[in-house]
Amino acid sequence: MSNVTGPGRRMSRRRLLQLGLLSATAPPMLLHSRRAAAQIGGAQPAPVPAPAGELKNPVEFKGPKVKASSPTTLSFWQYVGFHVEVQKFIAEEYKRRHDPNVSLEITAYPGLNEQRVGVKSALAAQSPTPDIIAIEPGAYAVDVSASGSVRDFTRVFAEDPEYKRGFWPNALELLTINGAVVSVPAVTNTVIVYYNRGLFRQHGLEVPDTLDDLKKIGAALNAKGTIPIAYPAGQDRNFPLFPYYTYAGGTRADKLMREADLGLKPWTSPELVAGAEFVEMMAKSGLYAKGPLGVKEPDAIQIFATGRSAMFWGGQWMRRSIRAALPPSFDLGLFPFPAVVAGGHKPVLSSVGITLTVNARSKHPDLAFEMIKALTGAWGKIEYTKNLGLSPNGPIGADAIAYQMQSLKDPLYPEFLKLQPTGTTRVIFTPAVEEAMTQGMQALITGQKTPKAVMESVEAASQKVGTRKFRAG
Amino acid sequence: MRPATVRHRWRRHAAGYAFTGPALVILAAFLLYPIGYSAWLSLHEWDGYTPRWGPFVGLENYRALAGDEVFWRATLNSIVFVVVRTPLEVGLGFLLALLLNRRLAARSLLRTLFFVPVVMSLIVVTIIFQRVYEPNTGLLNTFLTAVGLGGWAHPWLGDPATALPAVIAVSVWKNVGFSLVILLAGLQGLPQDVLEAARVDGANAWQLTLRMITPLMRPILALTALLSIIGSLKVFDLVFIMTRGGPTYSTEVLATMLYREAFELNHMGVASAIAVILVAVVLSIARVQAFVMRESREGEAA
Repeated sequence: MSNVTGPGRRMSRRRLLQLGLLSATAPPMLLHSRRAAAQIGGAQPAPVPAPAGELKNPVEFKGPKVKASSPTTLSFWQYVGFHVEVQKFIAEEYKRRHDPNVSLEITAYPGLNEQRVGVKSALAAQSPTPDIIAIEPGAYAVDVSASGSVRDFTRVFAEDPEYKRGFWPNALELLTINGAVVSVPAVTNTVIVYYNRGLFRQHGLEVPDTLDDLKKIGAALNAKGTIPIAYPAGQDRNFPLFPYYTYAGGTRADKLMREADLGLKPWTSPELVAGAEFVEMMAKSGLYAKGPLGVKEPDAIQIFATGRSAMFWGGQWMRRSIRAALPPSFDLGLFPFPAVVAGGHKPVLSSVGITLTVNARSKHPDLAFEMIKALTGAWGKIEYTKNLGLSPNGPIGADAIAYQMQSLKDPLYPEFLKLQPTGTTRVIFTPAVEEAMTQGMQALITGQKTPKAVMESVEAASQKVGTRKFRAG
Repeated sequence: MRPATVRHRWRRHAAGYAFTGPALVILAAFLLYPIGYSAWLSLHEWDGYTPRWGPFVGLENYRALAGDEVFWRATLNSIVFVVVRTPLEVGLGFLLALLLNRRLAARSLLRTLFFVPVVMSLIVVTIIFQRVYEPNTGLLNTFLTAVGLGGWAHPWLGDPATALPAVIAVSVWKNVGFSLVILLAGLQGLPQDVLEAARVDGANAWQLTLRMITPLMRPILALTALLSIIGSLKVFDLVFIMTRGGPTYSTEVLATMLYREAFELNHMGVASAIAVILVAVVLSIARVQAFVMRESREGEAA
């Protein structure tokens, strides 16, 4: 078994997790952890207080099984500019410590769309470049795997089972197409509700536990001229789906949603229509800032940061932008979306964002896999998330969190780590279904269609696709 | 034809072929070949990932488009874009050109100001207007509220009823300066003796504009309109950045639908069919425009 090296001691990963669980102090975390164990693979430990002196990454940076025999440059196309710095850092450390012949050349496209078009062109042309490709779970992963354009991680995991165990199981599940893991996550993150603690205090409000609580808070804030929730539904095609995913997660209908996505169950079942009804109810509830489909992420952040709204429904990946926009006196908190049904659990949407895979035509597949292992393995994941404020791709130890907190200095980071294991998925694999869902949710938000009509149109789109040529999960 | 004659003619035109040859090669490689390639691809199925195209499906992609509600919505939106943007852009441009053709104190400054949006990055323009249209803190709604018209405040880009007009307004704002410059150059090139003669004959400013300047400017106005029509039909970036064709396809135009079919839904054959239709429409309009212009010139000459 591979061990995790701490300062002055060696400790098994299992032991470290046990210690972490014991050190978890927040009661909600303990409540969630039992449920989460089956769903996502265990809870995150809370950070231990940092001792005096500078801490070091407590995990050993393991060397590769394969090294380059001559100078080799691996090309890597990704779409998240703010990840470049840390990716470069890890690649340079890898070169310095393990394989001086290997360099990583990163191309960061301005956005996912641009990168996807570039990758598609390269793959269609049977290009061996890029060696490493960043993809998103869902339709993108299906596209590249179903066309045989990328390699799967079966052999890598067979050779290094410890590496596989380092990922949250549900994150890998999202990347499992036709039984093969086609990509591995670099980070994970959650969709939660940020809130202005100062405003809540000022108006005597408590963090809501149930949907009714949230509606009451909304009414109280509206009466005082404060927008309850800034929700950037106009940001991209995914945002209008958040409320639906939230409801599906909160009613444990996410598995049913997956089956419907794969054409195995109808979208018109009462459970899935109820999700559309929830979207409609939320749009009419007066909780959102006006015209959510006309609100983009920077607008919503500005509304929230200037105190015009008390809450902001968004993702962990926005943490940097939010932090940059907030005045120093702003007291920021976060909470999971309240239970959407009586007695239900609080749904936290989880996603894996950027994931890494190897081009099937790469001339250096083994070196590319080793580089991905460096970026996403036990040592890499701690460095990777240290300054980004995103959650790692799997559990990390309390001492690792303490190490990260030295430079991150973000009190919300451990809160995110606690929520991550409770997350439910928010991915649709069939492009036509995703399109129909996006348009349908927009129609619900603008009041153009009824929930039943929307789900019927989604079902029609699903049936038009016919039998799927892939299995997911 | 005898070989000697062919050789003679070839030699006579050799310089012409030599000068146009490189341009023709480039045109063929980067324009004609891709158009032909797209047309051929539009008769196939292809997901855009697998190296080989899928099966030949004949006109199936065109048939699918004919039965696709979204295609007709996108076509209608593209037509609305043309029908609304072109008269506004050319009309406003002409009015401004007439104004700036007079001796005004700040003429140079005004010309520059009207031309600034043309040279501004489209990304910057869309980001600015997203903020202008933002329903809660945007400049437009804030202004309306400040002047007592709060009832008119609206989620401009978030409402299917107003999203397309809002996008067209930005497009007109961005491009009117271009029409202005072309039309102003046209106005300054008009024969002054003819206009002076009309003035001497007692034509007032209104008559001068309507009866003399406008007919003389017809070729330039037609050119400006043609450029605006083609620009409207090709519009992609502005819509894509501002609304991505939403909400509920209310701003979807042919170019954004083409992108979505190609790169989000992986229907490269269908996307190519849209491209072929778009090219055919643009070429037809250019042809009609050229025909009308020729007829008009011949009419004037007669």
